[in-house]
Order: sequence, then structure tokens, then C-alpha cells
Amino acid sequence: MANIRLSNISKRFGNTDVLNGIDLDINDREFVTLVGPSGCGKSTLLRILAGLESADTGTVSIDDTDVTRIRPADRNLSMVFQSYALYPHLSVAQNMLTPLKLRDLSFPQRLPLIGPLLAKTEYKTLYQQIKNTAQILKIENLLDRKPGQLSGGQRQRAALGRAMVRDPLAFLMDEPLSNLDAALRVHMRSELTQLHQRLRATFVYVTHDQSEALTMSDKMAVMMKGKILQYGPPDEVYHNPQTIDVARFIGSPAINIIPGSTDETGCVSLFGKSLETHVSYPHSTLHIGLRPEHLSLSENNGNSFPGIIRHIENLGSDLFYHLETEGMSQRIVVRSSQSEGKRLPLGSLTYFKAQKNKLLIFGESGNRLTVKSQKLAEVA
Amino acid sequence: MSQSRVHLWLMAPALLLMLLILIIPIFAALGLSFTNYSLGNSGANFVGLQNYEQIFTRTTYQKMFGATIRYVFVVVPITVGLGLGAALLIKSLTRFGDLYKTIYFLPVMAALIAMAIVWEFAFHPTIGIINSTLEQGCGTVLENWGWYANGCERTFPLWLTDRNYAIWTVAFIGIWQGFGFNMVLYLAGLTSIPKELYSAAEMDGAKSSWERFRLVTWPMLGPTTVFVVTISFIRSFQVFDMVEAFYPQGGGPSKSVYVMMFALYEKGIQQNLMGIGAAITVVFLVFVMLLTIVQRWLVDKRTHYV
Repeated sequence: MANIRLSNISKRFGNTDVLNGIDLDINDREFVTLVGPSGCGKSTLLRILAGLESADTGTVSIDDTDVTRIRPADRNLSMVFQSYALYPHLSVAQNMLTPLKLRDLSFPQRLPLIGPLLAKTEYKTLYQQIKNTAQILKIENLLDRKPGQLSGGQRQRAALGRAMVRDPLAFLMDEPLSNLDAALRVHMRSELTQLHQRLRATFVYVTHDQSEALTMSDKMAVMMKGKILQYGPPDEVYHNPQTIDVARFIGSPAINIIPGSTDETGCVSLFGKSLETHVSYPHSTLHIGLRPEHLSLSENNGNSFPGIIRHIENLGSDLFYHLETEGMSQRIVVRSSQSEGKRLPLGSLTYFKAQKNKLLIFGESGNRLTVKSQKLAEVA
Repeated sequence: MSQSRVHLWLMAPALLLMLLILIIPIFAALGLSFTNYSLGNSGANFVGLQNYEQIFTRTTYQKMFGATIRYVFVVVPITVGLGLGAALLIKSLTRFGDLYKTIYFLPVMAALIAMAIVWEFAFHPTIGIINSTLEQGCGTVLENWGWYANGCERTFPLWLTDRNYAIWTVAFIGIWQGFGFNMVLYLAGLTSIPKELYSAAEMDGAKSSWERFRLVTWPMLGPTTVFVVTISFIRSFQVFDMVEAFYPQGGGPSKSVYVMMFALYEKGIQQNLMGIGAAITVVFLVFVMLLTIVQRWLVDKRTHYV
């Protein structure tokens, strides 16, 4: 197992910059997710780490050794592909045997027919390894089948098996769950997390799905337009986004971004109401981020804002009200738990309030502004 | 129960055409092969298996099978191998791929009968470019090779008119003409191989190009190969125009290039022996049928991955 360090990685395809001076440190045994919208360069970064693609500038080091000029086969990493890339003409067991064979056996031992006769004991240990891996993944009964005879989830396991069967320095996964149906995806999330704990290996996981990143990883790197915008534990990224793009991308339903402004003292006001929160930028326009769970319906009083209910999203445990407010084209989403009782009808006027200590304040350029002083008591 | 009969009407034209231009002629040929019918005769006598007996006993027909089998078993493996090799090489090029594709495909598009005339000049024993080129090499190290020294001393082979060389020379031209077609089929097969499989092979430790070929390219080309081999077999069994152009009379030196299609043409058309011609047709059909069955079986058994 190993730590991985990417420094100053850049890559261009023709005239487009795909990656722009990426630096990333991954510690031993960490589960790191690269997450971002499609086209942000996350898959390219993973392929550069694997060695399948070469970077224009920068270095890749694994276990404190520079491997930038070393070919993928010699980096001792294993990879699970989005399409699984199982060899369709080989059974699951033979698929899993391939990496072992190519690495552990000599050329004559790999020959068909003669090979197994020459190296009986070697083959026996290899098959034992396959069996053990199959046991962990619960695919022992599928070992004789060809990939074409497997369902999506079974193929996914077979691909994992091929990656796991030898002891690589790190596992690289390129959107491995995106071809599965929703229920299986959620199930495989927890299985992968358990597998990571069990193997105690370094995992680098690429996904466009922010919920996968939040649920599975020790650390996540949010990437956009060839840059890492923020790198940290999921809680930190969720509650403390450094830019408005990160705040928008992470979280479902998405964060509400409401225009705000400051007066001459730097006091922030929202919909014309002072929030008694100060930043050090007087007389400027701001973006104020508020997650749906930090907003709640309330009575009409001095601290609440009016809105008309235009849409209700029922998730069973929670209700999300989409409210139309004056002066905003975007609707504001407010969470309300089912137990709060009364369900308001569509089109009715209601009021909502915000938890002030949860305000995320961004400047015009999209960077996070620190709050100077705040009256903490929630005025409701 | 009122069931619509529209489906019968919709199928009828196709069924009728198939019956008229495929099934009936085959059975007509089968019927004729048991007679001694000649075109223009009012009637014919039933001769039983006599025609088939001739085909499998007379030396002329033994030569026919010999020439056909030599031609087919030289041309098929070499055109398939060269087709695959050329396709792999072109695929690995970053530039000029299209140029090479065109060059290799030109002979396929050209009329073989016209090309045969060009080759006849090239192989001409005295004025042909091949032997005159070979003569340039006399007196050099090449003479250490016994065959070459012999050629310098007496003459170089008469290629097309020497019975030891004729069938191989014709096979050479067949290869030259045919492998471009296989190359195009293989190029199509190569583009359908998912790129991720090569990435997976690399991650699995397949370092040499041979290992990647064995692990990914060759198995993934399985269906293409079965098709290419079958089509090459059928095309080689059908070789005719070249033989007709080189040897309008009698199928080459001591009938060494007397291939099946030419025999069929000579007996059935030139000599008006429809009975024996039909019998050769039936034997030919059986060969093609067997090949097709083997192909179907291979496709189902070995290369049906999904």
C-alpha cells in the first residue's frame, strides 16, 4: 500500500486545457474521490495517475518514487473501468487469472496446455488466490461464466475481482457504479466502503455523482475546468465550501443562492432585511448560500421572508417546498420534515426563516468571505 | 376464427423469387447431373451415378481436385494472414493510412482479366520484367543459392507455362488480388474493439504488443476471422477468370491449373456436356455448403461472446 503524490500536472488536448497544474496528495490507505461535472478532467487525471495517459508537465510519484516515466504495467496499480473492460472471451476465473499470470509466471509457464503442466504448483496457488478473492466478493458460483452471461452488478463484481486478486499498491476506479441501476448503486456504495476498510488499501475513485463522493470517501477533491477547487473531508467540503461553484455542485437538492448586499458598515442584508452579520466588505453585492435544511417554514414575523409555494417535492421522510419569492428568478427550496404536520397547498403564501449561523457568504467573484461578527441568537 | 392472411401475401414475392432463381435451378442441376443431356438435344438418357463416378475416378478430375486444393490452401491462409498483417500495420500508422488502404485495395477493384494480361507480360520468360530483373542478379552473391545459379546457367523458370510453377504463379496473382479485401474486413473488425480493453490489458501487466495481441486483438477479431476465412474459401473455390485468360485451352501445362470453375465451364459450356457440368456444380455446391455449416458452427460455439 502506498501514498500517491501528483504535482503540477497539466495536460492539453489540441487547444483545450484539460488539466491546469494539479497538485494532489493522497495518503496511504485513504479513500479519495475525484468529483466534478463531466468534462472537468477527473478521468484524465486518473488515467495520468495510472500511466495510460502522459501528462504534458508535472510528476507522479507513488510510494515516494517518481513513476512519471514508468509504464502502467510497472506501476503496480489496478483499475476498475466504467465499462468494466472484462475480456469477453474468457470466463470470470480466467479474467481474474490474467493479471496473476502476466505478472507471476514466466513465458513458457503461460503457454496454453503446456504451461499448467510445467507449473502445477504455481497454478494451484494462483487458483487458490482467485478462490479467496471470489469468496470475499461472493462470486464463487460465477467463476465459470463468461462476462456476457452476467448481469450488470455481477460484471461489476467480476471487474473488482480482477483488480483485487493481486496485491496492488492502489486501486483506481473510473466511475465504476455509473452503469448500475439506482438501487444497486446505493448498495454497492456501502459494499465498496466496507471493502476499503477490509483491504486497508489506497483507493482513488472518480465520479460525477456528488452523493457517491459524500458517502464513500475519506477525502474528496472537487474538480472543475481542469482545477481542483477544494480538497478535504466530505463534511468540510459540504459545510465549508471555499467557492460558490463548490457550494453549488455539492448537495442535493442544490444550495439556494440568494443575492444580498452590505451597507457602509459591512452589515449583510438579505431581501432588504439586515441579518446582523458583518463582513469586511462594505457597499458590495454578495451571494448568500443557504442549504435547504437550514431554512424552515415559519410564522409571519419581522425575521421571516414571504414566498409562494410553486412545487412540492415529497421524499417520504422530508418535504421540499419550492418557493417563488419577489425579485428572484430561481426558486428557493426549503426543507420541512413530514412530522411538522400540516402540508401547505400549492400556490399559497407562506413565510420562511434562515438559521443565521449557517450562512455561506460569497463575494461577487464567487470566493467565500469570512464572517467578522455575528449575533448568534437565531431570531425567529 | 378470422385470421388475416396478409402475411402470406407479403411473403409471397420473396418466396417466389427464391424458388425461381435459387431452389428450382439447384434441383434442375441435381436432376441434370444424373443424365447425359446436351444443350439442343430433344431428350436425354438417365445414366445414374455415372457422371459422379467419372468425377471421382478419372485422372482429369483428379487433376481438377489437385489444382483446386493447391490453389485454395495456398491462397486462403496467405490472404488471411497478409490481410490481418496489413490491417494491423495500417491501424498503427498515424499518417498515410488512407494512402496505404487505397494502394492495397486497388487490385480488388481492378478487373482480374485485365490484370491477368499485365501479369502475363510481367511473367513472360524472355521479355518479362520478372525474369529480366532476376538476370540482373547473376554474378552476385545471389548465385550461392542453388536455384538462382541454375536459373543463371540455363534460364529462369517459364513461370506460367512450366507445370511445376504454373499453379503457384497463378496462386501468387490470386493472393496479390485478394488480400486487400480481407484487409478492409479486418480494419472494420479492429475499429470495433473497445479501447478500454487495451487499457485493461496494460494495467493487467501485458507489456509486449504480442501479449496484447494474444489477450485482446486476436480473440476480439474472432467473428471477423471466421467470416474472412469463409469468404476467402468461397472466393478461392470460384477462381476462374484468371485461368481462362492465361489458358483458354485446357487448363494450363498438363492440366496443372485445371481448377473446378474452369472444368465446369469447359465441360458444360465449351463441350456441351451438361450432365457432367451439372455434376461438377453439385460437388462444388456441397463444398460451399460444408464450409458454410462449419462457419455457422464456429460462430455459435467459439466466437459468440454475448
